[in-house]
Order: sequence, then structure tokens, then C-alpha cells
Amino acid sequence: MVILVINAGSSSVKYQVINPEKEAVLATGLVERIGMSGAILTHRPTGRKEVRLSGEILDHKIAIEYVLSILLSKNHGVIKDKKEIDAVGHRVVHGGEAFSSSVLISEEVMAQIRACIDYAPLHNPPNLRGINAAKQLLPDVPQVAVFDTAFHQTMPKYAFLYGLPYVLYKRHGIRRYGFHGSSHRYVASRAARLIGKPLDELKLITCHLGNGSSAAAIKYGKSVDTSMGFTPLEGLLMGTRCGDMDPAVILQIMAKEEMTPNDATTMLNKHSGLMGISGLSSDMREIEEEYDTNDRARVAHDIFTYRLRKYIGAYAAAMGGVDVVVFTGGIGENSMLVRKNALKGLEFLGIELNEEKNKAQANGDRQINTSSSRVKVLVIPTNEELVIAQDTMHIVQEMKANQ
Amino acid sequence: MADKDNKTLDINILGQPDLGGGDKVDAIKIVTIFGAGTMGQGISQLVASKGMEVLIIERDKQQAKHGYAQLEKNIDEEIARWTMTESEKRAILSRIKVSTNTEDAVHGDLVIEAISEKLEAKQELLARIDTICEPDTIFITNTSALSITEIASATRRQDKVIGMHFLNPVPKIPLVEIVRGLKTSDATYRFIKEFAETLDKTAVEVFEYPGYITTRVIVPMINEAIHILMEGVATAEHIDIAMKLGYNFPKGPLALADQIGLDELMAWMENLFRELGEAKYRPCPLLRKMVRAGHLGRKTGKGFFEYK
Repeated sequence: MVILVINAGSSSVKYQVINPEKEAVLATGLVERIGMSGAILTHRPTGRKEVRLSGEILDHKIAIEYVLSILLSKNHGVIKDKKEIDAVGHRVVHGGEAFSSSVLISEEVMAQIRACIDYAPLHNPPNLRGINAAKQLLPDVPQVAVFDTAFHQTMPKYAFLYGLPYVLYKRHGIRRYGFHGSSHRYVASRAARLIGKPLDELKLITCHLGNGSSAAAIKYGKSVDTSMGFTPLEGLLMGTRCGDMDPAVILQIMAKEEMTPNDATTMLNKHSGLMGISGLSSDMREIEEEYDTNDRARVAHDIFTYRLRKYIGAYAAAMGGVDVVVFTGGIGENSMLVRKNALKGLEFLGIELNEEKNKAQANGDRQINTSSSRVKVLVIPTNEELVIAQDTMHIVQEMKANQ
Repeated sequence: MADKDNKTLDINILGQPDLGGGDKVDAIKIVTIFGAGTMGQGISQLVASKGMEVLIIERDKQQAKHGYAQLEKNIDEEIARWTMTESEKRAILSRIKVSTNTEDAVHGDLVIEAISEKLEAKQELLARIDTICEPDTIFITNTSALSITEIASATRRQDKVIGMHFLNPVPKIPLVEIVRGLKTSDATYRFIKEFAETLDKTAVEVFEYPGYITTRVIVPMINEAIHILMEGVATAEHIDIAMKLGYNFPKGPLALADQIGLDELMAWMENLFRELGEAKYRPCPLLRKMVRAGHLGRKTGKGFFEYK
């Protein structure tokens, strides 16, 4: 089966062509600067040379048209006929409370995704544009939506409600939703497979640490808590986002600095986090380069790992124990210092890091705890696209079986 | 008529990096903006931030350079107060080009004029570009008090001339008054209303009358505040505190006057007074005195309050 996975952003479209049965990636690629001058398509067919095309790409439909034509091209293509695409899987950021799993896209589903625009004003509209474009260009191919929020819909009410007047939840959907769902779900099931135990017998804490970061408590296969909330601003410290803080702080800053709500949103999302504290960079690698010499870089790093450590402790308490801690995402997969500092002092929970294994330069799935550690510590490169492709495949198979 | 070419904008007096291919927000790809003063800068930044390309035309090359530098400075100030990012700045600046040649107006899918607030100058410019631009190009005039009908009368496309009254600072004020001249067509109005939406501005529709809504309401109020000050009823601080706390104004009337510029404010009042002939629009003598003394508000460091 061949699945086209599409992740449409405001001015970009990322894509992968995947055979989910074989877990094989046929091609990956990216269209950038859609609707701007100098749009670029970068296409990487597996095992062959990368191709770059530039031209005028006015909208998502034209972008996906370009993608299809390069997928079909004689020299750089990976399929011979559009009909080889069995289904399209779309990443959709916000599914609200309407979706607790991936779904076949119908008009009704589209309407519900539209209804969630208020929750994700920057993400859901381009996601919808991607879906519309793919529907027009591949009208007979089933389209599936995979939501970032869906996996966390299993959180109990006491974990997802804020301590606000209850009517605000009912009236405006103000609650915690959580994000990175596909990533947390992927690394959790991968971890269970790696240690050879069924997922529904394990208590896992998964840490997706990238430009945006979140931790999740996954008890017996279900997300019971996660650090991001109504928006991806809550929780851990991130590259340019502040994470947890006293909400009164923002009201105080708005008054003192004469900020509008828009101004404040930009400050909290784009000028805070590692960048705001260090004044140096939002990139963890650059922060670590100056860890020993620059006080502000060090304190930014320390806040990052301290907060992560608190979440690990909190989630162990929330689940009544922990069997596995997983690190994923750019920082989780690559920063030995973050892993080391975040787990420092957690031996009382049964977490013992093997320093050598933690330091070893490696790619791929690996276990980095000591042999005596009660808790397994794993590094697992995430693969959200594979989750989207697999979900899409299952839904299409089910649909065909029911016909 | 000069040749129109949307694909290549080879106008580059500031030696900026090449723009590459075309751009678009729906049908409007390139917006020509006349004038690199405060309003021209603000409108250019706003339009470019929404993904359209901007061609600023300013006759005087020094003025053009200064305007562009000021625009850059305005964005830097926003970055310093954490409300914009470096990458937004790069994107915006990459979309703005500057020319000194009026003929270049032809490249715009829309023309916005933001030159000085003088009827003759505006008429002269519109008459000139009327012969340069394609006959279906809409002309927007940015004025806070002048008659759209009168400005439009200089052209042969009076149905396609419309007013957009942006308020300073343009990128931040969420409002625009769309002002219809006597002969402005419904189609032009609808098109510009949609344009305002793509700029994320809330538009209010105004049928031409001196002062529209905002200027006509704010002017007598500020003037009254100046009278109160002149008559020794209260200090400038207390007048502003009273209005801020008593009626929930984010800024007091005198601080607002300083921000607008006292010379500008007086010009508005004189225009309203001339047009409508009512005493309530007559500039307060204290305002005249301050303008004559060169205390024009924020921009000169001294107005009703002092600014360092």
C-alpha cells in the first residue's frame, strides 16, 4: 500500500510517500515559501539524489500539484501513476473534543476541523487548505485526518480542566488538549516493543523535546496527562516559548509594557524560553556550547532540565510509578546533557542512567539505563509520518472491508 | 500608458537583493504606495507583512532613503519590545522596493497615495497617474479630512477612487475608515472592504463628509481639553487622568494630541472649521500659540507634556 502523508503549514507543505506495511519511505520532501516570492520544492527520493525546483507556487493546491508531478516524474519519481496512491493521510493540529482518533475525512469532518479553528488559528486553516487541495487533485482517493490532539483525549477530566469557572469550559472549550499526540503514541508503542512487554501493562513517561517540547504520562497505553494545554504554550520550557508560569505575570507585563493581547502572544511564543532567558539562541546546541562559559546560557539550560525533572516526578506520582522514560525529538534524541541533567537525582524513583551509553554517539532506538535500573530509559527517534501512514492504512482497510 | 509587468520588478535604487518571482494575496500582488512619510511607511509595512509586494514611490531620493530607514527602525523598535521577530522583519523588508519614478506606478495592482495632506498635491498626483496606470486600477487616497470627491475629480476614473483613512501607527491600529466619494462605485467599495480584511483591519463605511467619524469626534474633544487647560480649570496631568480613569480612555486627550502632533491637529481643525463653519471646530488659541512656538508634541520632545 502506498500512502501520501501531507503536513500543510501556513506557507509550506511537507510530504512523505510511505509504504506502511514495510515501514518503507519511498520519498520525502518539502515545498517552502508558498504564496511568496521564490518558492522552492525540495524532493528526496530514497536512495537517490535530492532535487530542488523553484518557481511560482501561489497556493497549497499548486504546491500539491507540483508534488504529484514530481512523484510521477520519469527521472525523480517514485510512482508511475496517480492511481498507485492508495490514500492520503493529513496531519491536522487541532481536533478539539470531536476527535479521539484518526478519521476518514467527510464533509462533516471538515466542518468539525473548521469549528476548531478558534483553538488553533495558525494551524488548522492551512491544514484545511492542504486537505481541500488533495481532495481536488486526487478526488477518488480516500483522505484521512490524523490529529495532534487526539491521543490525549483519554486524559481524565481532573487532568484536563483548569481551575477556572466551569462555564468557560462549556462556553469556549477552555481546557487542556495537549499536542504532539502522534509522536507520544509512536514512541510509547515502540518502547513497549523494544523492551518486549505489552503496552497495556506499562507506565511510561514520554518526553518529546524539540523546538516545541512536551511530556506525557502514558498509563497502560492511554495518555493520562501531558504538559501542553489549551495551546502549545503550557508546560516545559521551549526554544522561544515560556511554558508554565503564573497567569498574573502576563497581566502585569501587559500593563507595565503597554502591550496588546497580540503583542503579549508574540512575546510569550517567540521571544521567551531558551531564547528569552539566554539572549543567545533558541537552539539547544548553541546553548550547550556556551553552558560552561555563559551564565545565562547555563541558567536557561538548567531551567529546561529542572522543569522536565519536575514533570517526570509529577507523572510518576500521577501514575503511581513509572516503568519507562522515553526521550525523543531533536533535543531528546541528541542532547546527552539534557538527558543526564533531567534525570539527575531520580535514582529514588528507580531511574539509573548509564553514563557511557548516554554519551555514546548513536542513531536509532537505544536503551541508556544501567542494567540494575528498575526503570528503562530509552532514546527513540520519533516518526510521526509513519503513525499517520499506518492510521491511514488501517482506516482504508477497514473501509474496504465494510464495503 | 507605460507597460505593466507584474512578474519582474527591476526597480532597485537601494540595491536590495532580488525579489525573484511574483507574489500574491488573491489578485493583488503588488501595491504601489506614494509617499515615504509616516503614513506611507506604516501602510507599506502593513501591506508587506500580509505577503504582498510593495513599491514605494517617493520623488525625492533622500526622502525615499530616509523613509525606508525609518521603516526599518520602526520594526526594530517592535522587535525590541518583543512584538515582532527578526524573521518577520526580513520577510517584510524583502517585499518592499523603493522608486523615485512616478511612471513606476503602473506596476501596482492597487495604488495608495499617502503624500502630504494638500488637496492640490493629491489632485495633481492622481491626474498624473490616471494617464499612467491601467484604466481599471483602483486609486486609494489616504486622507484624514479632505474630500474624496474633490480629489477624484482630477481623474477620469472617479468611480474607482476611494478613501482609506488609516490611523497612526498604521500597523497597530486595528481600524480603517473606508470613505466613499460621491461617485465611488459599490464594486470599488466592496473590493476595498475585502482588501481591508486581508490587511486584518476592521473597516467602517463612511459616506464622505468632512472629518469622517474619527477625526470629527476626537477633534472637538481634544480642543475642549485644551480650553480647560487654557482657562486654568485643571492641569494637563489632571485632565488626562480624569478622562483615562473616568471614561476608560487608554490615553488622555492631551497625550493623544501630543502623539498626533499639534500642527497636524490644528490643520484638521482648520479644515473642519472651514468646511463646516461651526465655532465648535475653531482651534483653541492655546493650540495656536503652541504650534507657533514649535512645541508640536512627541515629535519635537515637547507639547502638553515633555518627552525625552
